[in-house]
Amino acid sequence: MTYIPSADDLEVITREVWTSFLDGDPSGLIAESGDMPADKITGCVYLSGAYTGSIMLQCSPPAARDAAAALYSIAPASVTQTEVVDALGEIANMVGGNVKSMLPGPSTLSLPSVVQGQLSVPGTRMVREVQLSWRAQPLFVSLWQQAS
Amino acid sequence: MRILIVDDSRAMRMIVARTLRLAGYDEHELIEAVDGLHALEVVAQEPPDVVLCDWNMPQMSGLELLTALRSAGWRIPFGFVTSEASPQMRAAALEAGAMFLVAKPFTPEDFQDVLDPVLA
Repeated sequence: MTYIPSADDLEVITREVWTSFLDGDPSGLIAESGDMPADKITGCVYLSGAYTGSIMLQCSPPAARDAAAALYSIAPASVTQTEVVDALGEIANMVGGNVKSMLPGPSTLSLPSVVQGQLSVPGTRMVREVQLSWRAQPLFVSLWQQAS
Repeated sequence: MRILIVDDSRAMRMIVARTLRLAGYDEHELIEAVDGLHALEVVAQEPPDVVLCDWNMPQMSGLELLTALRSAGWRIPFGFVTSEASPQMRAAALEAGAMFLVAKPFTPEDFQDVLDPVLA
């Protein structure tokens, strides 16, 4: 039986990334369902091999800006779009790489993609999702798998 | 000592540099490259004493860089700093000639554990 990381696993990994590099206060990130705006920022890495699918991280534009500001250690007002793309891509890569380590291998992890809005990978379905809130802004992390 | 940080993410290069300073390596010179190809140029121009390299990068991956360096005769201590840290990845890294693999996210202590023996 193949183990698929649980929603709790996704939360633990996301928390580890967040508390290590973005926000030293663990209470800043809470489990909470919310509405994701249509102009969300989506970071995604793809897996191909023994497990084929993707790991997506979605957050509101203010959360993406604050995440980039935290990674770069700069003021949120001075964050550029390039820095948002770099930051969200790297966060998706860190979360995705750690999720990959829990999945059956060998698989190859792609370079990250970052878009504004919804990103859909044809032929895949969401198998896990955790909905979080960071600084009162929505942050969703999900695991997708190629439909058999 | 000169430490080369290779990562296509500018944010991650900054975080690695910041963490190295927190780990007590602020007296060392930190230089950067944005991918494997760039790192090859940097090594040729100003050889570092140790390389800290991402695994997954455009143009030339970390593993391809390590192979190219070893093929060219460079024996610079080389370690991966990557989000992928499964036992298989660690085995592949060591087999290719890496000295260590640091998993992202990391702490200053993670770098001290692997760099103190190299930079002492």
